[in-house]
Amino acid sequence: MESKNNWKAWLYLAPVIVLMAVFTLYPIVNTVVVSFLKDYNQINGSSKGFTFYNYQQILSPGGLFYEDVWLTALPNTLILTLITVPTSIILALFIAIGLNSIPFLKKIFQTVFFMPYVTNAIAIGMVFSVIFDTQTGIFNAIFGTYGFPWIFPVPGGATVAYGSALFSICFYIVWHSLPYKILIFLGGLQNVDQQYYDAAKIDAASRAKTIMKITVPLLSPQILYVMITSFIGAFKEYNSVIGLFGTNGGAFDKNTGPSSMKTMVFFIYDQIAKGKVQYASAAAVILFVIIMLFTAIQFKVSKKRVHY
Amino acid sequence: MEIKIKNLTKVFPGNPKKNIPDTTAVSHLDLDIPDGQLLGLLGPSGCGKSTTLYMIAGLKQPTEGEIWFGDEDVTNLTPEKRGIGLVFQNYALYPHMTIYDNVKFPLTNLRVKTTKKAVKILDNQKIDELITNNADEIIEIVKSSVYKEKISKDAAARKLVFRFHIVTSLAVKIFRLGLHLVPADELSAKIAGIKAELAADNQKITEKFAKHGYSLNEACECLTAEGTTIIETRRLSTSEIDGLVQETARLVQIDQYLTRKPSELSGGQQQRVAIARALVKKPRVLLLDEPLSNLDARLRLQTREEIRRIQRETGITTIFVTHDQEEAMSISDQIVVMKNGVEMQRDHPQDVYNNPQNLFVAKFLGTPPINTFSGEIKNGALYIGEEKILSSKSFTEDKPVFVGIRPEGFLADEHTKDEDKVFSITVKAIVTMGRDMSLVCEHDKFIGEDIKIIVDSDIDAKIGVMRFAIRPNKIFVFDAKTEERIRFEAK
Repeated sequence: MESKNNWKAWLYLAPVIVLMAVFTLYPIVNTVVVSFLKDYNQINGSSKGFTFYNYQQILSPGGLFYEDVWLTALPNTLILTLITVPTSIILALFIAIGLNSIPFLKKIFQTVFFMPYVTNAIAIGMVFSVIFDTQTGIFNAIFGTYGFPWIFPVPGGATVAYGSALFSICFYIVWHSLPYKILIFLGGLQNVDQQYYDAAKIDAASRAKTIMKITVPLLSPQILYVMITSFIGAFKEYNSVIGLFGTNGGAFDKNTGPSSMKTMVFFIYDQIAKGKVQYASAAAVILFVIIMLFTAIQFKVSKKRVHY
Repeated sequence: MEIKIKNLTKVFPGNPKKNIPDTTAVSHLDLDIPDGQLLGLLGPSGCGKSTTLYMIAGLKQPTEGEIWFGDEDVTNLTPEKRGIGLVFQNYALYPHMTIYDNVKFPLTNLRVKTTKKAVKILDNQKIDELITNNADEIIEIVKSSVYKEKISKDAAARKLVFRFHIVTSLAVKIFRLGLHLVPADELSAKIAGIKAELAADNQKITEKFAKHGYSLNEACECLTAEGTTIIETRRLSTSEIDGLVQETARLVQIDQYLTRKPSELSGGQQQRVAIARALVKKPRVLLLDEPLSNLDARLRLQTREEIRRIQRETGITTIFVTHDQEEAMSISDQIVVMKNGVEMQRDHPQDVYNNPQNLFVAKFLGTPPINTFSGEIKNGALYIGEEKILSSKSFTEDKPVFVGIRPEGFLADEHTKDEDKVFSITVKAIVTMGRDMSLVCEHDKFIGEDIKIIVDSDIDAKIGVMRFAIRPNKIFVFDAKTEERIRFEAK
């Protein structure tokens, strides 16, 4: 009875399965395969056989890409992730709680906060690079730091410190990633029964305590979801770097940290552009493993703290 | 705490632009609830009873009127300052907290004014008392608390809490004394040793207080040099909170479930947790918003007795909102029947049934409901159709009326001899229910679907026209226009 119409089910699923297999499953498997091939030629698919050479070049201190990966892409990726994800989640949580409780102009504020979500990342990046411009930037104008190079060095003059570049890009990433999180949190908040708040009010809980003891725990499934997706998103940060610093990923003072804001995905695209697909594949696999690890840790930690 | 409500009105504003009229949920309500009583607010849904409750709780602001707790005007106080406990219809237990944390939650926010006390000495005295009188039992309890072949501190502490009604921290202290490790013949020596230690500890604490210039009286309250006690405002300590949680849990009999989550409890147990959470901070007033509506019939009966018991034991003034007449009748000291935000009648439960003031109250109470006929008063007698039901000298004015007759108010057989006072109805169906018999009848002056009559089952009932006499105390006459009761003396 159950297996009788099986072929029908497969038929209905076929369009999705075929497309998934061709455009998702095969590339994933192939990436892993290619990452182990020496001198892979992407035009005719030839290679000089199985090897660990690609990984060796990326991971070992004496390898070709030691500086590009270990000293630039990996630290950049990790620092961006660890700063922007917690900041944006906490900010989004407070904004969502605020939006949920203001009695008037709710719709206007919601629209204002959701604007970045529907705007192109590269376009926003370009706008931000104008905002942080050394000479004409509005940021320097507001804070009276005229002439301070946030993103681009002054020709023949001051160089950009890594810290200031990091601040600019974090500012941009946080701002750009807020709307989606706010949207999710607002949805969660609207599902929280008003009675819990009434009960807390009668029990004389302060506003802060109500948020910490009731709102946040009741929102924990949404927080976990947002945390996992935004960790993954942050590890894949790329658009924002291009948008803000241009296609070379910026040029910073070497004494203050990494010399550019290139991330892991940036490195991967770089290698593809140079035709070194095997290195790009190896880096992609490494990034995949890192993301897997972080996600696993989050699931583990969340087991006790998330209340469904 | 006595509750007084004066001229309470709540209007939910409409929108004149969209032609939505204002809604008056509660209209000029006056209530007076004596201290320690349980008042049932009864009415159909949408009659404003829950709105009234929320206004008393402070969750809704009245449009007009005043609310007094004792001689304090609380109308403009926020809910947390009113000192009320509220049990919500859906309980609103925090799903992510254990039962213990749920019950504890109100206490963590509480600030109390008490005298400064040497709490440690009181603890020591309690330990002293327990090990002197109950040493064998303690050892037995501890030794029986085995988990994975080892004696478990948590299990032992919980059992000690159950048995001796002490706070958890004290139970842990007693466990740590290690009475169960001592051989039986050395036990009395060990106890004597502990007692000496406790006495020395008490001495030390007393000296410490003395250093600051305080002396202690018999209740271990701190006294200044002038001999006055010291009042301090503070949060409750962990062991005080624990004590109150355990005490309340025992009162509502949920002390075995404290470590569970609300979703692991049955509806009735959740209900009791909600009551515990409302009671734990010793509120001045307990408010219950249809607390039984989510329970099945059997549990409802049980829980309602439970609520009554808890209310009697604590003596707390309680307001109970319900749409279920039986519920209200069975547990209230007083019932207020409401309709469209207006108080219809306030009385003792039985009087509301026996003596309704208007047609609405008569119809709302009683199962099966009262049978309503359109009749008229003519020449000092009451007529339904052409039949004269009864006459009274109180009927002076001729006018159309509504006649309500309770299902149990019909008498058959020998009672119908007086030709002047009979009422003939067509019986459509007979349903026997053991002791009683239910007759489904029709009559062209009847308002509604079917007339339901309950008579003794030994009456010779048959399908077709039957003649009944009416018990005068089961028949109520209401003015057809105002629907107010017209009282009469039966001749």
